[in-house]
Amino acid sequence: MKNVLTIIKKEFARFFKDKRMIVTVLLPGLLIYLVYSVMGAVFSDSGKTDANYKYSAYVVNAPANEQFLNAFNSVSEIKEFASVDEAKKSVAEGKLDIVVVFPENFDAVLDGNSSAVPNVEVYYNSSAEKSVGGYMAVTAILEAFKDPAFSINSGGSFDLVEERDAAGKILSSIMPLLMFALLSSGCIAVAPESIAGEKERGTMATMLITPVKRWQIALGKIISLTCFALLSGISSFVGVILSLPKLLGGMVGSSAAAFYGVGDYFMIFGLIISVVLVIISAFSVMSALSKSVKEAGTMITPLMMVIILMGVGSMFLSGGSVGLYAIPLLGSGLAMSAIMSFTASPLGVALAIISNVAVTAALVALLSFMFKSERIMFNK
Amino acid sequence: MEEILKVENLTKSFKLSRRQQKSEQTDLTVKVAVDGLSFSAYRGEIFGLLGPNGAGKTTTLRMLATLIKPDGGDAFIDGKSIISDEQAVRGKIGFLTSELKLEDFFTPDYLFGFFSELYGVDRTVRDNRKRILFSKFGIDRFAHVKLANLSTGMKQKVSLVISIVHDPDFIIFDEPTNGLDVLTAKVVTDFLQELKSQGKTIILSTHIFSLVEKLCDRVGIIIDGKLVALDTLENLTREQSIEDAFFALYERTARGSI
Ligand SMILES: Nc1ncnc2c1ncn2[C@@H]1O[C@H](COP(=O)(O)OP(=O)(O)OP(=O)(O)O)[C@@H](O)[C@H]1O
Ligand SMILES: [Mg+2]
Repeated sequence: MKNVLTIIKKEFARFFKDKRMIVTVLLPGLLIYLVYSVMGAVFSDSGKTDANYKYSAYVVNAPANEQFLNAFNSVSEIKEFASVDEAKKSVAEGKLDIVVVFPENFDAVLDGNSSAVPNVEVYYNSSAEKSVGGYMAVTAILEAFKDPAFSINSGGSFDLVEERDAAGKILSSIMPLLMFALLSSGCIAVAPESIAGEKERGTMATMLITPVKRWQIALGKIISLTCFALLSGISSFVGVILSLPKLLGGMVGSSAAAFYGVGDYFMIFGLIISVVLVIISAFSVMSALSKSVKEAGTMITPLMMVIILMGVGSMFLSGGSVGLYAIPLLGSGLAMSAIMSFTASPLGVALAIISNVAVTAALVALLSFMFKSERIMFNK
Repeated sequence: MEEILKVENLTKSFKLSRRQQKSEQTDLTVKVAVDGLSFSAYRGEIFGLLGPNGAGKTTTLRMLATLIKPDGGDAFIDGKSIISDEQAVRGKIGFLTSELKLEDFFTPDYLFGFFSELYGVDRTVRDNRKRILFSKFGIDRFAHVKLANLSTGMKQKVSLVISIVHDPDFIIFDEPTNGLDVLTAKVVTDFLQELKSQGKTIILSTHIFSLVEKLCDRVGIIIDGKLVALDTLENLTREQSIEDAFFALYERTARGSI
């Protein structure tokens, strides 16, 4: 194990000495953030709320008090619906901004002729910008008339948001593909350089004549490359997460990340690591077969396509039987999709991770075997 | 005389790719690089493998260093087979050849530490060796400069030092003075003599006659993968210079093979 550690230390020293490598790893994340943010800015430009905008509202038991009505109508426009429930549904769907339910005889309250302390209910949707605006405008007016006592939104929940599900739906369809694309581009940035590059430059041979076992070199390389690819993957993910709210605007608020619990994040993390392990080992095997960094890049590209196709495939197969999760990579796509839509079973995720780890072990064994083959290590 | 290296009928051929066939201007698909080589080396001597370009010197040494496997025959270093006990052999030998490169991103100091660890050299022993070797070759002046910024001669010195971080008893040097100016070459040859005086066994390959005359105790002349002469330097140069002896042998093999 000490030798594996020595190899890992060397790989890290090499990686962080090479400024170009850091750029290849961190640049994708930065680019994704910039591109998505610009796209988001362009999209959301069209939907800006202007000062004269009137919030659409459905009102129950509207009071007749003129002063109050003037104030209320200055910010909102009354819409008709067949029932309160119908109106609430529209708010949840983002078609209506707010629903205001006044207590019966609210006029009496406004006139100070009531001894009770009734409650005014203002329903809104926190994922829709305009709904939140309407909620704030209406409560501000209510506050101003609050001298005769009444309460606003006391007890119960008045946020009609269904954002969690909406976000889950969107993320579960884009995350598998995104995961495979970002992680494999992170892997292709580091594997050819470290394996085909060392072969091409003759520095691998220098290691091969030491008494270090070939599997130790293979394992040391895989572990360090996994870390670098993860770094690149994480940088890309951060880019995506930061830019997602800007890109998707009102559909998915910036709070989307908060819908997922600690358990979900653990599963996501485990999944991502195991996926990187598979991809990096596969790319390393390809790199070991190649004579040069350039050739490795050419050989890996079709494999990368296949991996990205797995992401596409998992979009169509989601919701299938748990047995599918045992297919390496594809199963991880399914698991990722399930986690995102809050339907993941720990068993499925575990199956996906285990299948990835098994494939990695086989590939590391294959790589050590290849490191022993003079035909492969010294092909000219 | 204690036999430390025993080479028995060592044979190696390479399959030639299309590209290699073209560059070698041949229709043969297989090139026999080393053809039934047998010889021994004894503890404390410098054994020279002398031969023209393409004779099979490097291929022989690569097999002894366990970088590649022979097709036939075997060799034993200190009793360990290069085929069945390669791990043990790797720990016993130091190998220097132009094929083995060091990573440009690192400093001599770092590389010395890295390879010491791979060879399992104890930390205190390592620091001591580093001090001695670095000062002998003047590496301490550029011990903390990345290899990419060093000259060919400096790099060659570093490669040489790295090849013996673990203080091996058996040292294989392939054309150790190639590409070096006379000053650096002298540092290297002096060092080889010093190693010999420490009781190390050295196998070196070269096509430079003067190097053989200056350093070697015994010489094997290799032409076309075959050993055509094997004797002490003294015996080989009794009647003529090593150069003349070589050309006489070369003529004879050329005529014999026609
Ligand atoms: N990997 C290889 N594939 C094909 N042919 C090879 C390979 N390595 C060596 N050869 C051939 O084997 C023969 C012996 O090569 P080798 O490098 O051992 O010669 P050498 O004596 O070291 O020559 P030089 O003085 O040029 O270094 C040459 O004809 C060479 O072309
Ligand atoms: Mg050679």
